[in-house]
Amino acid sequence: MELSDANLQTLTEYLKKTLDPDPAIRRPAEKFLESVEGSQNYPLLLLTLLEKSQENVIKVCASVTFKNYIKRNWRIVGILVEDEPNKICESDRIAIKANIVPLMLSSPEQIQKQLSDAISIIGREDFPQKWPDLLTEMVNRFQSGDFHVINGVLRTAHSLFKRYRHEFKSNELWTEIKLVLDAFALPLTNLFKATIELCSTHANDASALKVLFSSLILIAKLFYSLNFQDLPEFFEDNMETWMTNFHSLLTLDNKLLQTDDEEEAGLLELLKSQICDNAALYAQKYDEEFQPYLPRFVTAIWNLLVTTGQEVKYDLLVSNAIQFLASVCERPHYKHLFEDQNTLTSICEKVIVPNMEFRAADEEAFEDNSEEYIRRDLEGSDIDTRRRAACDLVRGLCKFFEGPVTGIFSGYVNSMLQEYAKNPSVNWKHKDAAIYLVTSLASKAQTQKHGITQANELVNLTEFFVNHIQPDLKSASVNEFPVLKADGIKYIMIFRNQVPKEQLLVSIPLLINHLQAESIVVHTYAAHALERLFTMRGTNNTTLITAAEMAPFVEVLLTNLFKALTLPGSSENEYIMKAIMRSFSLLQESIIPYIPSVITQLTQKLLAVSKNPSKPHFNHYMFESICLSIRITCKANPDAVGSFEEALFMVFTEILQNDVQEFIPYVFQVMSLLLEMHKNEIPSSYMALFPHLLQPVLWERTGNIPPLVRLLQAYLERGANTIASAAADKIPGLLGVFQKLIASKANDHQGFYLLNSIIEHMPPESVDQYRKQIFILLFQRLQNSKTTKFIKSFLVFINLYCIKYGALALQEIFDSIQPKMFGMVLEKIIIPEIQKVSGQVEKKICAVGITKILTECPPMMDTEYTKLWIPLLQALIGLFELPEDDTIPDEEHFIDIEDTPGYQTAFSQLAFAGKKEHDPVGQMVNNPRIHLAQSLHKLSTACPGRVPSMLSTSLNAEALQYLQGYLQAASVTLL
Amino acid sequence: SERMRKFKNKGKDAAALRRQRVEVNIELRKAKKDEQILKRRSISFRLMDESLSLGEERRNEIIQLSLEEIVEAVNGSNTELQLQATQATRRMLSRQKDPPINQIIELGIIPRLVEFLTHADNAPLQFEAAWALTNIASGTSDHTKVVVEGGAIPAFISLLSSPHMHISEQSVWALGNIAGDGPLYRDALINCNVIPPLLALVSPVTPVNNLHFLDVGFLRNITWTLSNLCRNKNPYPPLDAVKKMLPVLICLMEHEDKDIISDSCWAVSYLTDGSNDRIQIVVDTGILPRLVQLMASPELIIMTPALRAIGNVVTGTDEQTQAAIDAGVLAVLPCLLRHAKPTIQKEAAWTLSNIAAGPCQQIQQLITCGLLPPLVELLDKGDFKAQKEAVWAVANFTTGGTVEQVVELVQSGVLKPLLNLLLAKDSKTILVILDTISNLFLAAEKLGETERLCLLVEELDGLEKIEALQTHDNNMVYRAALNIIEKYFSGE
Repeated sequence: MELSDANLQTLTEYLKKTLDPDPAIRRPAEKFLESVEGSQNYPLLLLTLLEKSQENVIKVCASVTFKNYIKRNWRIVGILVEDEPNKICESDRIAIKANIVPLMLSSPEQIQKQLSDAISIIGREDFPQKWPDLLTEMVNRFQSGDFHVINGVLRTAHSLFKRYRHEFKSNELWTEIKLVLDAFALPLTNLFKATIELCSTHANDASALKVLFSSLILIAKLFYSLNFQDLPEFFEDNMETWMTNFHSLLTLDNKLLQTDDEEEAGLLELLKSQICDNAALYAQKYDEEFQPYLPRFVTAIWNLLVTTGQEVKYDLLVSNAIQFLASVCERPHYKHLFEDQNTLTSICEKVIVPNMEFRAADEEAFEDNSEEYIRRDLEGSDIDTRRRAACDLVRGLCKFFEGPVTGIFSGYVNSMLQEYAKNPSVNWKHKDAAIYLVTSLASKAQTQKHGITQANELVNLTEFFVNHIQPDLKSASVNEFPVLKADGIKYIMIFRNQVPKEQLLVSIPLLINHLQAESIVVHTYAAHALERLFTMRGTNNTTLITAAEMAPFVEVLLTNLFKALTLPGSSENEYIMKAIMRSFSLLQESIIPYIPSVITQLTQKLLAVSKNPSKPHFNHYMFESICLSIRITCKANPDAVGSFEEALFMVFTEILQNDVQEFIPYVFQVMSLLLEMHKNEIPSSYMALFPHLLQPVLWERTGNIPPLVRLLQAYLERGANTIASAAADKIPGLLGVFQKLIASKANDHQGFYLLNSIIEHMPPESVDQYRKQIFILLFQRLQNSKTTKFIKSFLVFINLYCIKYGALALQEIFDSIQPKMFGMVLEKIIIPEIQKVSGQVEKKICAVGITKILTECPPMMDTEYTKLWIPLLQALIGLFELPEDDTIPDEEHFIDIEDTPGYQTAFSQLAFAGKKEHDPVGQMVNNPRIHLAQSLHKLSTACPGRVPSMLSTSLNAEALQYLQGYLQAASVTLL
Repeated sequence: SERMRKFKNKGKDAAALRRQRVEVNIELRKAKKDEQILKRRSISFRLMDESLSLGEERRNEIIQLSLEEIVEAVNGSNTELQLQATQATRRMLSRQKDPPINQIIELGIIPRLVEFLTHADNAPLQFEAAWALTNIASGTSDHTKVVVEGGAIPAFISLLSSPHMHISEQSVWALGNIAGDGPLYRDALINCNVIPPLLALVSPVTPVNNLHFLDVGFLRNITWTLSNLCRNKNPYPPLDAVKKMLPVLICLMEHEDKDIISDSCWAVSYLTDGSNDRIQIVVDTGILPRLVQLMASPELIIMTPALRAIGNVVTGTDEQTQAAIDAGVLAVLPCLLRHAKPTIQKEAAWTLSNIAAGPCQQIQQLITCGLLPPLVELLDKGDFKAQKEAVWAVANFTTGGTVEQVVELVQSGVLKPLLNLLLAKDSKTILVILDTISNLFLAAEKLGETERLCLLVEELDGLEKIEALQTHDNNMVYRAALNIIEKYFSGE
């Protein structure tokens, strides 16, 4: 493409079309642009347009298109990827780098941002080696005096340097930083000083101040990035300048910079907040050098806190500032800064208490945005909130001043409770603050060490519970003072390990009652608290609260839980669903009478949410609950499985037909569970489904694989004979699944699960014709990409095969593929790798299999394989006696990450659909060591003298000793 | 047992766990204040010099010469004027502030000054020239280069055997500055056979126990120069040179002067800062017990290099580390881990981290010697640099320790400060902690205590910190955090 007016005109037309709301116009235009972006001059045309176009909308559009183009194409992936050639020719690259900085700086802000992003993308690849003059070019602009330009440079620098904050130290990185420091640190410092000067000369000019303060924010951010990896020599030498100015900026106030907005932080807040971060960085990492400045910052930040208002716009500043104090007060050598009783009182009174108050904004969130409120309050995503910061400061101070702090707060708690008592309906927020204060003081003890049930003399947790928490929960109306109810319920939750069991038992009916509260927060907390209480462990690993203790409440609990799901806003409330699951698990057979109603409600719910699954946790617990219902009921009455199938199959069919991807893995798991409940031959309804399970499309989704394999295993376990007789034509399809799975490093173990089930359950004659092919496939995989995981599974398989078909059959099949193959497998795989096999059952299979090879395979005794007899026996003894070899070769460490596509597709395993561990050797062999001894004995009677002579000539002494132990334990001697 | 060891370390061998001193060659920081000085300028008069040269100066008064006059005199043939000019040069170079090294070099008189060194008949001239050249060599690399290229190396080496002690001493000093410039000149000196005459000044004429008869200042200079001959890597000093110097250095370490002890410790610390065969040479001398003793010295200038040397030794093989343990290092470390100075804390923690990288028998000794409480304290309250090292120590411990040892570690309270450090502003440290947490979970799994560990991590506010790291900008950190959450904290 030439740089011609005609081309500019064409491009303008297409850019305009990409803004069209009609996809029929927009899409082709986008396609066109994509098709020409490989042409020379294309980026230069865009740059020309964004500079010179008459229409502003085209300028902006060109700048966005340009940035995206750079993002997609600047990086040269490398010669290895042939189908992704370098789309930007060298001359364009040079021209872009030569022009972009001045262009960015002369552009209006909207375009400047796009170009600045583009520069940082280019910089990430080219800076510093391939863009050596970028820094000088930027630094020169500092002299311009035009703060519009300067801010452009600073913003670009920020996007180039901010990666220093998270990257690992490396020679390459530090070389770059050093280069940047050499060119940038001094000009930045001079700019910082000059900007501050200008701030005082323009102290009365609001618009000038705004620009200057934007610069200061960016400068402060750059300071943070440049000082992050280590303390640079330059900044150590110039600490006085920076810190003195930072300090005075912290204390600065200017009415012109105050904003009316209550929510959005203004420039002043943003700057001070960044300065707090900078000070915190120095305090944490460069304490030795920063010590002289630190006390000043403590005072300034403390004063800042005392004078800052309650508005939301100050939240980030306040929490940053408090976190700074919290991190400093824990350090032994700064203890003295806080020691004074007046200081402590003042911090408690003016910093901590005000920031623990329940604010209007909190109240709003409680009512209107309860999901967010719960997430913050319950799940600890409150890291940036004021309350949380205040709470951390309390804990920090308690490290050295537990006594005095406790004393100060105990007075506060009492007076706040008294205020509340005077007029609860007006003063309920005082009680909220009191509870929060007690919680933050006491939870310190919870974290310290188990066994401590009380924080300190201030808080007798049980007493506070009985006197101040229970009364609220006992009140007649569950809807009165919802915030206090939520506080009370949360108190139970937090201190469940500290409050005595009898008090918890008293609380349970109260919590069940609060499941009916209208407030979403309150009934959610009630469900969550119940769920937590039900998981608590008592002595000897049973639940603390027993099913018997819950007996009187079963009906009301189940009724209220399901009713809570009908309350507005809670139709897919994961806490409630989790509480349902937990209740089932705790109550076990006492839920059986209610199952008919329960399963109806659950299937209705399932049908409803399957239209548009949006709450993964809710859905997960719902399926868990279904599994529990099935298990509990069928355990007492196996015939009940039919009624579940009746209730569920209709919904399941719909889910499968509509291809509800999120639910399909769950459906397979529930079906596996149901199928395994059948004691007799497999029902025909399942057999009808069998061919569909082998459809390749189902196996394309990673998340389907484990549950589908599990389901096929259930089919094989229950219906191998039916498959062999009635669906023999499906066996190749089954093996096709195995073949597909075995080819993947990520799924090969699943392929082996399937193969093992086939070997174990299918009548031998039905798979006879395929056996050799199976082995060939395994060998091909072994040759192409051998991994530890594959070897482990392979070893288990061949030993299972040996158990099932006999050692001779194993030897014959190997040697039929290629002469002497059996010996090679023994020597190269079994003997050196057997130690890697993990898992009780797996080890047992291998032990029994190897024993068979040693004792029931004539070629081992009278062919060239005989030389492997002793090494194999030694490996077997090693398997018994040595620790498992869990080394993974270096090159394999990353396989799982590469082969596992994103975690979203990960399989969601249902705990309560869990398969019992299956031991195919089972009763046949109880103790594999004894079994070895007995088998050796049998062998030695068949050929007297040979076994002892082999042992005595070449078995390693230690192994021999172990072996003698087995023989003794089995009371046999070798002949 | 090779396989057993691999098993213990889960695929990483001890050598990979042990971290050598230098990971990054680029420094952003100011040169460390507690490092040994590379080059020194001779500024103040020493008593001995004064008595020697004061008379002359009185006689000549103090003659101020211009640079032109100096050039003329130095290049001239009047020995009296040569001396005056050389002395004037030396005086300029010896002034406290901004010695005019560059201007003097630009005069082009350096080769001539070097030539004066050979005037055995004129000791005062030799001395003044030596002094002036010492101070030029004390400057930048370029300055040193001029002196060396002027041919000073052989001249100074032969002056080591000068009958005049003060000239010999001045030459030692000059050679120290040249050696301190870097491996290139260090090896040039060694190739010119500097070591035998240098060592001859210490032994055999003056047996060790008579060392104090030699002027202490002189002996300090010799020790310092020897240490510079041991210094620097890429390449290391030649092995046979090292083997020659070591016995003398070890004798010097027994001296009563703290500067001499300090510099000889520095020398040994350089010799141990390298491959295992270099460490072995030092270990074989049997000096480790003395080094450990010096690590406990109340003098910072002794403790620092002794600790460094021992720290280097434990980067070596298991056997070398065991030698340090047998020398008693574990008894001294608790004190150093609690030292007021952050750099000492840091070095001690680094040393500990490398001992923790060893086989479980050594980890057991570490437990038995009571290292866990100070380690936990340091993790909790230490300086950040030291905390980082302590994190490594814990990480190595959990990689190589047995399940029982890991349990003991957790019981000593390591979890709380470790989890707190997830807030550290350093991606690598965070990643190492996350790896450590994974190791702890592996141990917990073996004991069937996964649930309890989950609870503990959650109670100590660890869970929320790990959760927050799922949004960390560093890819590896975010993955490691995600991995832990998915494996241990998702669902039931």
